[in-house]
Amino acid sequence: MIHAITLGSVLGLISALLAPVDVSAQTKDDTIVYAIQSDMQNWDPPNSVLRESIIMGYNVFDHLAARDLKTGKVGPSLAVSWKNIDDSTWEVKLRKGVKFHDGTPFGAKDVKATFDRVLNPENKLTARGNHAKIKSVEVVDDLTARFKTDGPYPLFVERLTAQVMQSEKVIKEKGHEWMQENPVGTGPYKLVKWSKKQEHLLIRNEDYWGPKPAYKYVRVRIIPEQATQIAELMSGGVDIIKAVPPDQMDVINKSGQARTTTSPILRTAMIQLDQAGRSGANPFQDRRVRLAANLAVDVDSIIKHVLNGLGDRVATTVNPMAFGFDASIKPYKQDLAQAKKLLAEAGFPNGIDVGFLRTQPTVEPGLIQTSDAIMADLAKAGIRTKARMVGEVGPFTNLIRDNKADPMFEFSWGYYSIFDADAIFYDVMTCNQPYSYYCNKALDDLVIQGRSTLDSKRRMEIYAKAQKLVYEDAAYLFKWGLRGVWGVSNRLEYDAPRDEVDRMWAVTPRKK
Amino acid sequence: MRRYIARQLVQLVVVVFGISLLAFAILHVLGDPVLLLLPQNAGKEEFERYRHLLGLDRPIYVQYWKFVSRAVLGDFGKSWYADTPAFSLVLERMPPTIYLTLSGLVVALVIALPLGTVAALRRHSWVDSLCTAVAVAGQAAPIFWLGIMLIIVFSVRLRLLPASGYGTWQNFLMPAFCLGAALAPITMRLVRSGVIEVMNMEFIKTARAKGLAEGRVVVKHAFRNACIPVITVLGLQFGQLLGGAIITETIFAWPGVATLTVESIRNQDFPVVQCAVVLLALLIVTVNLLVDVVVGLIDPRIRAS
Repeated sequence: MIHAITLGSVLGLISALLAPVDVSAQTKDDTIVYAIQSDMQNWDPPNSVLRESIIMGYNVFDHLAARDLKTGKVGPSLAVSWKNIDDSTWEVKLRKGVKFHDGTPFGAKDVKATFDRVLNPENKLTARGNHAKIKSVEVVDDLTARFKTDGPYPLFVERLTAQVMQSEKVIKEKGHEWMQENPVGTGPYKLVKWSKKQEHLLIRNEDYWGPKPAYKYVRVRIIPEQATQIAELMSGGVDIIKAVPPDQMDVINKSGQARTTTSPILRTAMIQLDQAGRSGANPFQDRRVRLAANLAVDVDSIIKHVLNGLGDRVATTVNPMAFGFDASIKPYKQDLAQAKKLLAEAGFPNGIDVGFLRTQPTVEPGLIQTSDAIMADLAKAGIRTKARMVGEVGPFTNLIRDNKADPMFEFSWGYYSIFDADAIFYDVMTCNQPYSYYCNKALDDLVIQGRSTLDSKRRMEIYAKAQKLVYEDAAYLFKWGLRGVWGVSNRLEYDAPRDEVDRMWAVTPRKK
Repeated sequence: MRRYIARQLVQLVVVVFGISLLAFAILHVLGDPVLLLLPQNAGKEEFERYRHLLGLDRPIYVQYWKFVSRAVLGDFGKSWYADTPAFSLVLERMPPTIYLTLSGLVVALVIALPLGTVAALRRHSWVDSLCTAVAVAGQAAPIFWLGIMLIIVFSVRLRLLPASGYGTWQNFLMPAFCLGAALAPITMRLVRSGVIEVMNMEFIKTARAKGLAEGRVVVKHAFRNACIPVITVLGLQFGQLLGGAIITETIFAWPGVATLTVESIRNQDFPVVQCAVVLLALLIVTVNLLVDVVVGLIDPRIRAS
């Protein structure tokens, strides 16, 4: 008898330990499984800088404006229209009949509460920097809000796509701590359960104001290892993965279970040349040497052969998808003779020896292989590079920030998802920015002009001038705009999103 | 026996002191933590204010004493990244890692004990060679390779097991095997040599001379003696096992403390790193203490020495 009891309790304990996670009434047919590499810190998107937070935020919250993935243009979401009352006032009309997940109606008071919370420096929210140009928000009536900005603010509408709308009631009654784990949005999905570092379970918001998502459940699984993600995709355990390495595309496409889909993304890669002399006096302070570097490398064939075509050649640092991109400037073509001639003119008939700071590919696919190819091309023209590898991205960027980079270093910029030339010109390329090893007063003037007017035609002209200047000055060794690769199960219909935000409500069953 | 345990406990205190020094140093050898905490463009005043706030302007021994006196109460400060107490963050993730290491240990023993004994009893036969070959192969296969191979075979090709995740018994099989397979070879070799050595001893001859059945001689007399070095080494290998768990947890998306630690290092989240280092080290030290006690219980010679 005693034995039976002991045995029973042992078995009970074992089954308790091994009990499956509760998945209620979920079936495979009404669930999408989406994998991400690392978990986010919290469910409070303005309090995070992680890409994962942005993505999850899109699925549970709504923004005032949203990007149409087909056209790339920003259009209405929780706001139905916006207009300028004067140079520094925007009036936004809101959508009627929208409800938060807890049933409270959405209105102008929530817009105000959201921005008041973000803009208050005491709250130390990371999103504050994105909206620092907004001075205040006023409630005009239930469905109208007015924004006062610090001077003309051309990025206003663009930046509305980067701010989720949270509820005034929640902000006031529940408070910051509670909001870290309990998202109350108006979005197409609601959070059911968050098992940290393991999984998020989302359920469809049946009262959603927009089109109803095709799938009732979304499981977001955290799988750190890329090889495991690919194996899960190929064995049907996961439906959507992102950041597939180029060399794994074939494996997925031949599996019969899944396929890859690619899209240009808003990130430009380049090699910075230390024109400003932050690393000390160096040959790249001479324009002719920078030009020689650009003429030495056959970028097109590197994209074609090393990257399997996963890159879009650019003439400057401005991404083709960003507002202000000027397609009329044509990229440099390889010309070794001219490169050598320029080096000789600059006083280096025997070429130069120069340090090159490199890192591991965390955002740039094929970084090692492409940089190897670039080094080989540079050597042909007499630019002999000595590579220094700093694998961890944190220390790598700290070296750059602390003036300890080499005269050449790898760099790429994701624009903080703002589709506007200003997001790279101002943040990266003006004098005295932490990561800028290029400093040109004439460029700074253009950049300031570009962000001080609301006239988009005028802004286009200014950015065209700026790109011409950067191109002719060979400010960097220009590379390409990146392409992202997603893996998608063959049971689903889903296209790679150009803003790297995976929208689960846009996923549909695949037509047979 | 009591004196024996007391001696072990004194050693434990010394080790724990060393660990606390090391954990404290983690933060300080990497330069000024304030530089990591504040934005690059923060002013000098802000820096000073923060240094004062964190107590970094105090003498180093005062800082160390503060760290230790708090750590003893389980207070390692808040995670800089997740904004929750580091202690609860680490504690929450302990069980999955402990289950994983224990099941890895069980797998290792299930493989090593029978194979090692058989190899010893059939020394220089084809069985022995086969076992040695398996051991060499097992020792040579890195965990990350084995893990991915298991996933390719059992998840991608055969569709029998989930490739990753946590929560069901199916989730345990591949990670446990992966971890156990890494530990099994060395254990097996030890069992083999232990049994060979013991089988040549006088008391085995005596047992045989008494007319005991061979099975009883092996299990009752030889095995118990052969176990002593195996238990000692398993204790020492426990740290290795936790090290292997880092890779295993990453491959199989196992939500344990090993992945948390690696992630925290990457995020420069020092309170969590410090807490994890201290707790894991305590775990290893405790296991080793237990091993010493168990060995002492089995082997009266050690107690006496």
